[in-house]
Amino acid sequence: MDAMRPSPSPAPRGSARISVAAAVAVVAALAAVPAFVSNPYALHIMILLFLSVIMGSAWNVVGGYAGQYSVGHAAYYGIGAYVTLIFMTQYRIMPWWGTWVAMAAALAVALVIGSITFRLRGPYFVLASIAVAEVIRLTVLNWKSVTNGAEGILSGPIPKIAFGETTIKFISKVPFYYVGLAMVVATVLANLAVQHSKLGYYFQAIREDQDAAHSLGINLTFHKNVALGISAVFTALAGSYYALYVRFIDPSTVLTIDVSVQMVLICIIGGIGTVLGPVIGALVLVALSETLRSNLITDVLISIGAVSAESRVGAFLKEHLSHAHMLIYGVLVVVVILFMPDGILGWVRQSMRRRALAAAGEKR
Amino acid sequence: MALFLQSVVSGLLVGGVYALIGIGLTLIFGVMRIINFAHGDLLMMGMYGTWIAFTAWKLDPFLSILLVFPALFLWGAFLQRTFINRVLGALPQNQILLTIGLGLVMSNTAMFLFTSDYRILTTSYSSESFQLAGLSLSSPLAVSFVITATITAILYWFLMKTDTGQAIRATAQDRDAAQLMGINVRWMSILSFGLGAAFAGTAGALISPTYYIFPQVGQPFTLKAFVVVVLGGMGSVVGATLGGLLVGVTESLAAVYISSGLKDLVVYVVFLLILLFKPAGLLGKSRM
Repeated sequence: MDAMRPSPSPAPRGSARISVAAAVAVVAALAAVPAFVSNPYALHIMILLFLSVIMGSAWNVVGGYAGQYSVGHAAYYGIGAYVTLIFMTQYRIMPWWGTWVAMAAALAVALVIGSITFRLRGPYFVLASIAVAEVIRLTVLNWKSVTNGAEGILSGPIPKIAFGETTIKFISKVPFYYVGLAMVVATVLANLAVQHSKLGYYFQAIREDQDAAHSLGINLTFHKNVALGISAVFTALAGSYYALYVRFIDPSTVLTIDVSVQMVLICIIGGIGTVLGPVIGALVLVALSETLRSNLITDVLISIGAVSAESRVGAFLKEHLSHAHMLIYGVLVVVVILFMPDGILGWVRQSMRRRALAAAGEKR
Repeated sequence: MALFLQSVVSGLLVGGVYALIGIGLTLIFGVMRIINFAHGDLLMMGMYGTWIAFTAWKLDPFLSILLVFPALFLWGAFLQRTFINRVLGALPQNQILLTIGLGLVMSNTAMFLFTSDYRILTTSYSSESFQLAGLSLSSPLAVSFVITATITAILYWFLMKTDTGQAIRATAQDRDAAQLMGINVRWMSILSFGLGAAFAGTAGALISPTYYIFPQVGQPFTLKAFVVVVLGGMGSVVGATLGGLLVGVTESLAAVYISSGLKDLVVYVVFLLILLFKPAGLLGKSRM
């Protein structure tokens, strides 16, 4: 049954150097983007993409590598968002310190939750993770003196930061872009480190067969907790980034089960338990939801004359298609689970392998 | 004391509906070992079905069960045949995600068709209540409790006395052995998913006079159904019935004695405690 999983097949030697070079080139190109692109909407989409990559990669550590399907990561995302903004608005603590506090808080909560819920397996663990996230959401909703309840927290502008002569003002989207890019690099590197470290092998052993891993002397609860801890810290980072970028949070945006589900979807659609999977998943989901939200598809349909803007169909599409991105997510998940259980990345790899085999067969 | 009794009784009335939702979920889990994350969305479909029947033909919500039950049964059977059946041997995670995906499709299609406006179904008796032994009972909830009890009783009879019911129980006990005994396991799976969906839809019809109807209404009910089912032991119909009543009473008492904002919190904390200390449920290992 586990044969369906993408086993991290060792890449042939020499290709590692190429992929490092490719990765550096991609990051360099991304770093150069704000120099050429000043359109705030384009930068906004890139920031959303970065956020999704961080969320997906963060979940991937515990869900993908250690195989513990938490559907309650909204808890850590929300803690990241809330701690950062509460510290900034109420205690006037600079967000770049607040974020660290938020990550520490998420880590602490994760370790408590983990040591309780990791005694459970399979579907029971999934249910427990959801219940814990709900408990945290309801606590935030009812702890009005600190969290402002359902009204949420609206923060003023983010204080500027000074490095000697240069000051960075968080007014335009450019500083957020660079911060996001740096966080993406850090998160993806963390995934890479996990995949190739001894710790990562322990995680994957637990994922493949916990009892076998246990019998080989791997401390299950400890290693699951380590995986959850790493995952929670990066999830809190994403939450904190979101809160500072949007400057408004409430329980129904950062603490709902939708956030948790979205994190899982990014990984499933891209390819779970791989470094590139969450990146691909985030690319697909952000591209899809933004084209729908901006009514691009309807505009294209109208401009090529498939439907007229005045007709009832055109009006209906314009009215409704922009809200349909969750519907498309749902369809996408169903399709991916049924037809590409290893995600887009796994599907691409498999069809490439098949093509290579076919080519080898022809030669013979 | 009167307050205590009053809240216990109102809790039981609401708990009856929870029990019905939980029974559907536990039936599906028992036979297929699949946790249906789209369960609340099936309930949502039942609510909208009732609402449409009420606004279009002035059909009484309780009568519309006669429509909603078969409709949701067919829908559930279709879902099982086309989607769920393909992942029966897959990783549990993938099964969960498939049902999450199906749920997203259902709730967002509802949003597409009906917008996210809150709908209310106001009957002449929506806010009516009557007195019984000094306690005040909400009429629609009391009627729905009676209907729930009847349906549950019929289900027990069906599972215990009929051949098909016994075949379902056998499939739940041991799928392979049941197949070897000549039971059509595929058909039993379709049947139980259909029944599970029909129960969820019926519960939706029953609560539609007292709840807001909107596309995302299902999610909290999905979570609550999990609580109900785990409390009673996954796969146990008797357990789900008791679990439903227990959750209803816990909620009602928590609302009265702690705070109405915290009632769900209390339920989830109880749920976590049960998961940790008695994961097989309060009734132990019994199945169906």
